[in-house]
Amino acid sequence: MHIPDAFIPMGQALIYWIIALIFIALALRWARRSMEEEKIPLVAVLAAGIFAIQALNIPIPWGTSGHMVGAALAAIVLGSPYAGVFVLTLVLLVQGVIFGDGGITVMGANIVNMGVIGGFVGYYGYTAVKNVIGNAYAAAFIAGWASLFISAILCAVELAIAGTFPLVPALIGLGLYHAVIGLIEGGITAGALYLIASARPDILEHPTGVSA
Amino acid sequence: METKQFILIGVAIALVIAVAAPFLASGNPDGLESAFFSIYEAKPFMGDELDEDAAGAAEEQVVATTGNDFSYEAFMPDYSIPGLDKTGEVLAVVIGTLLILVLVFGVAKISARPDN
Repeated sequence: MHIPDAFIPMGQALIYWIIALIFIALALRWARRSMEEEKIPLVAVLAAGIFAIQALNIPIPWGTSGHMVGAALAAIVLGSPYAGVFVLTLVLLVQGVIFGDGGITVMGANIVNMGVIGGFVGYYGYTAVKNVIGNAYAAAFIAGWASLFISAILCAVELAIAGTFPLVPALIGLGLYHAVIGLIEGGITAGALYLIASARPDILEHPTGVSA
Repeated sequence: METKQFILIGVAIALVIAVAAPFLASGNPDGLESAFFSIYEAKPFMGDELDEDAAGAAEEQVVATTGNDFSYEAFMPDYSIPGLDKTGEVLAVVIGTLLILVLVFGVAKISARPDN
């Protein structure tokens, strides 16, 4: 879902950068206030794992592929939507600058779509669904799926505003492909949460147990 | 599990994925590219066949539409090192993974709240 430079006019790309910078500032404030010193290695390892797994495109039907984004996982494990913004901003920065994956002028849009939407939908989706159904892993799956799907819907709207795609085909195309890719996001989010909760339940900001 | 062990296992898992990714990853266009190619009629919406000529034309057409002709030469374009084939792809993803590890650790260290 990494938007390349050509897809959004420069002026609009600047607006997404401004929105992204506001959330980056809020993410840095979160880090200063809430990121404990002892959690720093965990944040770094989680980010490294997210970067690696983003390079693993999994085939879906229709000659298409997709990969995990990981903002929802970071937000759930570290207990704040801003953790998703924090990790994804740095991942997208390296992907764009070093590997040419995602544009430079449009990086703000990619940070908004994947970091901000991914982090917020992932975190609040997880806490809301977990409160209703009580199962942390089902909640993580649903939140992971929703985070990717809603990112794609916003991406479609941005590209329609940009004049790159007509709105309805953009919503159908991006929506359908990412409804399937979201299963990958949901599955890995739930699986990784299970592994982390099994190894170090104390590390999670929100315990996975029902009585949380 | 001890924190040190937990972190080392995490790094090991990330590196295993990084080494395996170039061999396992699908080369098919991703969801956004597929939507783009199908809307610009270079690929059927639910089919596999990509028309390379139409795809190239679509990319030019989109630059003409948005006027954003910014171009940038990345150090390791598309997770590869020019001239190194698969080895280059493995190195690229491994370097990226280690770079993220160090960068995120550094930025987190600078921005995190001091506990002492």
